[in-house]
Amino acid sequence: MTESVSSALFVYTDDTKHLIKPLQNNSSGTRITPVAFDALMQKPQAQLEGVDHVVVAGPLDVIKAVLRLAIKYQFSIGIIPTKKQKHLIKFYDLPKNPSAAVELALRQNGQAIDLILCNEEIMLFKAAIGHIPFLDTPAQAGWIQVLLNALRKFVGFRLYTFKFSTAGKKEIDTAASGCMILQHSRGSFASRLISHDHSFTDGMVSLLISAPISIIEYLKLLGQALRFSKKYKKLPNSIGYIKSPQIDIEPETRLDVIIDDQHATHTPLHCEVIAKAVHVNVGKNLQVESSSANASKEKIDINNLPREKELLKARNQKRIPFFSYASEERFHDLFPALRKDARLNNIYLVLMVLSTMLATVGLYLNSASVIIGAMLLAPLMAPIVSLSMGILRGNLKLFKNSIGKIVLGILIALLSSALITRLFPYKPITDEMLARINPTLLDLAVAIISGIAAAYSKSFKEIIQSLAGVAIAVALVPPLAVAGIGIGRMDFNFFYQAFLLFSTNLVGIIISATFTFRILGYAAAVRRKASLVVVFIFLALISIPLYLSFSRIVEDRVFEQSLRQERFLVNEKYLIIIKASIFWRGDKRIILMDILAREPMTREDLNTFKKKIQANFSKKLIIRLKTFYIP
Amino acid sequence: MKNLIQNSILFLLIVGLGGCDQKPAIEPSGKTIKVGIIAPFSGSDHAKGKEGLKGMQTAMHLQPYLQNGDRIELVAENDEDDPALTVKLLKKLVEKEKVSAIMTFSSSGPVLAMAKVADEYKTPIFAALATHPDTTKHNGFISQLCFDDDFQGTVAALFVRDDLLIDKVAVFSNPDSFYSSHLAAKFAGKFKSIGGEITDTISLTEETGDLSKVIKSVHDNAPELLYLPISAKDLIRIISEVRKLGWKPKMMGSDGLISTMLAQGKEEIDLVDGMLATDFFAHGMPLTPFGKRVADTYREKYKGTGTIYAALAAEGYSILLNAMNRCSDPADRECINRQIRSTINFTGLVGNITIGPNGKAQRPLCINSIHDGRSQFIFKVH
Repeated sequence: MTESVSSALFVYTDDTKHLIKPLQNNSSGTRITPVAFDALMQKPQAQLEGVDHVVVAGPLDVIKAVLRLAIKYQFSIGIIPTKKQKHLIKFYDLPKNPSAAVELALRQNGQAIDLILCNEEIMLFKAAIGHIPFLDTPAQAGWIQVLLNALRKFVGFRLYTFKFSTAGKKEIDTAASGCMILQHSRGSFASRLISHDHSFTDGMVSLLISAPISIIEYLKLLGQALRFSKKYKKLPNSIGYIKSPQIDIEPETRLDVIIDDQHATHTPLHCEVIAKAVHVNVGKNLQVESSSANASKEKIDINNLPREKELLKARNQKRIPFFSYASEERFHDLFPALRKDARLNNIYLVLMVLSTMLATVGLYLNSASVIIGAMLLAPLMAPIVSLSMGILRGNLKLFKNSIGKIVLGILIALLSSALITRLFPYKPITDEMLARINPTLLDLAVAIISGIAAAYSKSFKEIIQSLAGVAIAVALVPPLAVAGIGIGRMDFNFFYQAFLLFSTNLVGIIISATFTFRILGYAAAVRRKASLVVVFIFLALISIPLYLSFSRIVEDRVFEQSLRQERFLVNEKYLIIIKASIFWRGDKRIILMDILAREPMTREDLNTFKKKIQANFSKKLIIRLKTFYIP
Repeated sequence: MKNLIQNSILFLLIVGLGGCDQKPAIEPSGKTIKVGIIAPFSGSDHAKGKEGLKGMQTAMHLQPYLQNGDRIELVAENDEDDPALTVKLLKKLVEKEKVSAIMTFSSSGPVLAMAKVADEYKTPIFAALATHPDTTKHNGFISQLCFDDDFQGTVAALFVRDDLLIDKVAVFSNPDSFYSSHLAAKFAGKFKSIGGEITDTISLTEETGDLSKVIKSVHDNAPELLYLPISAKDLIRIISEVRKLGWKPKMMGSDGLISTMLAQGKEEIDLVDGMLATDFFAHGMPLTPFGKRVADTYREKYKGTGTIYAALAAEGYSILLNAMNRCSDPADRECINRQIRSTINFTGLVGNITIGPNGKAQRPLCINSIHDGRSQFIFKVH
């Protein structure tokens, strides 16, 4: 059974005057002396003479004023919240029911709690500086207000340089969009991002620093904060955390400080904690949390905050970019591996020869399974991924090495395939080969998706990278082998068609991998513009013939599709086009059509049909028909 | 650097503009050439005339002059789709108005009446909507802009048999209409010749008794498709009876179905939802550059999307002008007639049109499906 105080002073305002009677009629027999807040503030010493316990009900600034008096006159406090003070109820675990709230407010032996003073202002819940959209939302705000507030903050979303100093004389120079001081882990969206060992009895000021390197990164951060169940052992990216009895915050420019959702002061900001400053009657759950909280030491976790080159970049940035950038230090495992992948070695050359030889044989055998075997051997993924990263980061050395490795691999592959073709006495053109000299848009889709997969798998150690390697090989090895066969057959058009498909796919993979790395946040903090320009000129030069061939491919596929919606009445014979495929032999456009007809086609019918096609579509079309008869 | 970029842009602009192949503007000659229009502007088929005239005016807005600078003047007459009146108006336009050519939006009946006297007047008559095959027979001056019913009926039968794989069809017709009876007969003949079965041939006359009994009897013979080249009024009656039975056969109509329904039975347009129809155009078909210009101009002038009648009229006007432009004297009626009948691969609104020496047009036919009051394209038959 919890005992109540024998007497208490009740501090009320006009809005809470109605609580006098319920308090005076309390079941525990506590003697209540009501006093209006204004009267108390006029003569506090006289009113508080011999008072050990004060019950307060009123707005937050009234509660804060009473807390300030409590430090001076050493009385304990009970708080009766109004219905609207939801944040206060949650924060101090107070009952919503008025009689239960009265009962709790009159108990003796309240919890000793810390009070945080920021530039001499009492902070009960949180203080926010700068831009931390959504996380610094006012507690009482509705959804529309939250969204508008966040949008407004996103408009001016940038990194400021900050200097943080702790009680332990540590000084931290970094860049951040903003920071928040949190009293304890209850009732705050932002506190979900940091460790839960901060409480209002740890004698510490807890500071969360937000330094997103991109808007994408920040949105990821919000996603993490939304996942209630997870407790993070380590801080999310772009979040720093400092816990110290005293923190000084000094940004490059003067920023407003919002304390408990009220504009209270501005930077520079000095925050200090008065440990166990007052005794407050808090709810049962909060008492348990506070008793389990460890006595704290100063803690500084700033590994995710911008440093060195990134800090330099942040200083020059007017806005936080949409996509991320990163220093090599941040991905220290990945870059040596990429550099290694870009270097030429014997294993690569041997595997390249073997995979192309196998693919060539598979193409002659018209065997998909042998071609798949060749793909498993192909070592193309590593240099392509390195090349993409080289492009993204403007790393000329990485770019040169990887492109050299790719070009040599291509030459060796073409040579091997051409040699086998020369040695083969019989050189049939199989369906597997034809498929590679008449690419469809789906081939390019394979290339783009496998490029994304390659970059993604390279970014995460836990993904088996060989799978993405096979995906890349699907798009590259067979057309490369077919191009080699074209050289072996001395058929330039054959070579050109297949090599065009190979080049389109290669560029597709490189661009999609580069873009994926960009989204994943691997762009350089400080870009070397000259090298990037060279790289983009190179890509543009490749892209011109590819674009021209690509538009022809698109045009042909659209035409093929549209032909399936055409019917012909030729000399009273109704012809249904089931399938149409366009092939190019040099500059000749050949259309292969499967048609359904009821009656046999004569030479005259075929001529009329050809004339109709040529009159309606193109005179330059060469038509090859396969007729199926309707019984 | 900045100057270099600015100068480069300026240079490119100058070169680009200089390289533009602009057609010189036509200098008006002050002369006028009259083109007559005979169409129903009142009565149940008034939409053919009104929309046809709008289509002509749209095309005229794009090409008001011949290449020699002569201006085109349209003289429109209302024949109320009455054959006797049509012949009188033909005489008036030729002898009194001295027109050089005539466009007609009348149906097959009035145009067949003109066919009997066309050679007397030696004036080219360009029939936009009369699909009866006999309109071009036994005369040398009537040419068709539309495909004829022999083609339409044949294609419909072949599509039903070979594309839809349907074996049994019931055919309805209006025996008073040359168009309807000929098309129904052509369809039935072709369908039977390729192994199909015509379960019923229903002629809808005033004497046709209880329609519900007729439909019930048709239903009992289990046709998979009803072929309905009939008037909008009869179409609505038949579909209503079919719905009452809870029967859902496939149904197919003929050219102008959606336009006729919009003009004469708009409030009951839902009834034709899901029907198939042969037609000249379809909603959402890719347009040629000429088609796009016509569509844009029509939209600008009349604040709407236009009908098949307007589209055919715009094509007809352009072919007529093309023929006139190829004559040394663009008012020479016989020359215009010869040139119309030697039109080869003229780019229409959605494809090429050829008109042979016999006055018959070769143009693609669309097979459409009607949804939400619009013809959705399924196939094009060349």
